[in-house]
Amino acid sequence: MEQNKSKDSLPITFEQLVAGYEFPPSRYELKLSVIAKYLEAVGKPSKLDSLASEFVPPVAIAAYTMTAVLQSLSLPPGAIHTAQELEFLKLVPVGATINCRGRVARKLNRGKLHLLVIELNALNQDQEEVLSGQATIVVPG
Amino acid sequence: MSVLNQELKLSDLHQGDNLSSVVRHITQRDINRYAEASGDFNPIHIDESFAAQTPFGGTVAHGMLILAYVSEMMTAAFGKSWLVGGKLSVRFKAPARPEDILTITGKIDSIEHKENVPYVNCGLESHNQRGETIVIGKATVKLCS
Repeated sequence: MEQNKSKDSLPITFEQLVAGYEFPPSRYELKLSVIAKYLEAVGKPSKLDSLASEFVPPVAIAAYTMTAVLQSLSLPPGAIHTAQELEFLKLVPVGATINCRGRVARKLNRGKLHLLVIELNALNQDQEEVLSGQATIVVPG
Repeated sequence: MSVLNQELKLSDLHQGDNLSSVVRHITQRDINRYAEASGDFNPIHIDESFAAQTPFGGTVAHGMLILAYVSEMMTAAFGKSWLVGGKLSVRFKAPARPEDILTITGKIDSIEHKENVPYVNCGLESHNQRGETIVIGKATVKLCS
């Protein structure tokens, strides 16, 4: 996978995170070979090939955006991805380049657990938003 | 219900319709392959000895892999309308583990119009072979004209 992070830095720890923190953005070139690898990994049946050879599956974009965030974040063992919201806003043709971004929306204490809510979005080359969403992660205290 | 390679007609959609389900047998090889494709190499997914020491007691599949199966079902049902007008909200209720057989199901809960644009609201679920709920949620599709 062709990924360019905008800057090299050590992963931020969960303790260091505050609401409003923006993760370093990442850029992905969604070449046919990249998407083919993704489709093979998710076992996409051939009946979806006509769409998949033209447009990037939106959940693939969401996955790359999540990866961009998680690579920048050091979470303790036992952290669980508990909820996900996604909205697919624009078609992304195979071959496009996207910029993935994440931002801490909320960090809450719930007794022995912490709740981390991360806003996600991805932009195309024209800086148009193609995907937005929100991931919720529960972190043991 | 599948609309691939054909025009999606609102008249073909009805409240209570079941979407064509997706069934997947997940293996550790699948999870490893997904880690390679997505770039998410969190050891909870791929390192069995590490994962055994965590509260999960073993490796678990990426949540986004399960959502890929959900999206596959929605793409088969709604085609391009899902890719450009889809909205998803799910909760991961339990981890999917290697050798689980997941069944993803969906049903049209309602069809509504906003400013003359039809929106289809669906309920979604995923269960494993033991009947445990893995994912539950809802999706909305804005139908392309």
